[in-house]
Amino acid sequence: MNDTRRTRAVLGVLLLVSLAMITVDYRGGDDSPLGALRGFGEAIFGPIEQGATAVVRPVAGAVHTFTGAPGAHRRISRLERENQRLRQQLRTGQIDRKRADQLSRLLGTSGLGGYRIVPAEVISSGEGLEDTVSLDVGSGNGVKANMTVLSGDGLVGRVTRVGPTTSTVMLATDAASSIGGRLESSDEIGIIQGGGRRGGSALKFQLLDSTVGMEPGQRIVSFGSQGDRPYVPGVPIGTVTKIERTPGSLTRTAQVRPFVRFTSLDVVGVVVGAPKRNPRDSVLPPSPSTSPPAPPTTPPRPPQPPPAQAGASARPKSRPVSTTTPGG
Amino acid sequence: MSRNVLASIVVVTALILQVTVANRLPLPGSVVPDLVLLAVVALALINGSLPGLVTGFCAGLATDIVPPADHTIGRYALVYCLIGYICGSVSVEMDRAPLLPFVTVAAGALAGSVLYVLVGAMLGDPRARWPVVSHVLPLQVFYDIVASPFVVWIVLRLTSRAERPRDSAGLDPVPGFYRAR
Repeated sequence: MNDTRRTRAVLGVLLLVSLAMITVDYRGGDDSPLGALRGFGEAIFGPIEQGATAVVRPVAGAVHTFTGAPGAHRRISRLERENQRLRQQLRTGQIDRKRADQLSRLLGTSGLGGYRIVPAEVISSGEGLEDTVSLDVGSGNGVKANMTVLSGDGLVGRVTRVGPTTSTVMLATDAASSIGGRLESSDEIGIIQGGGRRGGSALKFQLLDSTVGMEPGQRIVSFGSQGDRPYVPGVPIGTVTKIERTPGSLTRTAQVRPFVRFTSLDVVGVVVGAPKRNPRDSVLPPSPSTSPPAPPTTPPRPPQPPPAQAGASARPKSRPVSTTTPGG
Repeated sequence: MSRNVLASIVVVTALILQVTVANRLPLPGSVVPDLVLLAVVALALINGSLPGLVTGFCAGLATDIVPPADHTIGRYALVYCLIGYICGSVSVEMDRAPLLPFVTVAAGALAGSVLYVLVGAMLGDPRARWPVVSHVLPLQVFYDIVASPFVVWIVLRLTSRAERPRDSAGLDPVPGFYRAR
């Protein structure tokens, strides 16, 4: 009996503590007093996660080898061909690079349409309903909150919290995420709303002007936020797949298939420096809109000129798609 | 003492496995089993209600602050604490019904997921909207039940191994026999 009473007392106390924490953290918002607790969690669990990922990666690699074996041969030959071509390009490109660099600095257009990125690896993924990942870069690498995260294919999400060695990214598919988007080759803007990867649905695009036409196959780039945070302009987001009929609504809604495969995120880049001018849709993949691009299975992309300016350390996989053509 | 250490090891391992491995598994429906919840239920079943609720609270708090977490601190602490208490209070019946652990785990998984969503809905979390929840919840419980025998078995196994030398110390005909084995 005594034990039960004690148990109940402890239960009551702990429930009260939880409720108090929820209240304090909820009301505090971004600068809640419990932020220190989060920082503590980042400091403790961040390195453990990095270690665990290092251990687990070979196992995951082995599993992927088996599951991906059918497509692997095709990919290898494609990559080999691409490699050849890139090597060729590199050889010719190196000669011209110095001159080109000087010229571009002279013109004051260095970095035009090019994002400066810090490459990072995904080390863990969110729990329950949220669609978040953590990266192995933190404030020590120059990453700050509200920076854009992208991969070679397109927009991934934004940094929500930064620890000393890790940072948390809210993916574009998270139900709490909304991004300003712009239809390709027109200035029509709208809002990309995440449906939750766990919700199993694609992104939703709300076109703000319901009188404007929109059709499947059109592509969407990010619109860009004020001061380039949290989203830099001109990052490819996805392709319109289906227009939803919403009679009587002030906006038109479409389903969007993202360019990025959110289930197999690995190497991504955090944009630490935004392009000087909006690159518009010049960074969209060069495939024609008649055949909607399917990133994993598309035939090799036409060779692209190397990025005007790469990130702090060059991990080639994580560079954004070519950005050298000035947009407007 | 050793029981507490064991419980923390189990919880931390489950948490790290959850965020680095389980959450990244490309399972159908993009939903994954909740290993931490299962570990809490298993530990509560073994240790009773008071240790169960304390374990649940600590595990929940850890889940709230582990890096990719992006929700109000205390949500998992509240839910896991309750689940730990409830599952712990049926642990006295465990000797009578051999299938009870698995039934409890299933019930605990369901209750835990529902409670978490309810707390989210009360806070106005956009992730706890009906379209998302209606898709996630059934799958989540299904995966939890599929994964539960393994987690429960591992935790039971670890606990019995850790406790065997101490329990049998007095009756052991050959001192240190179990330890040596």
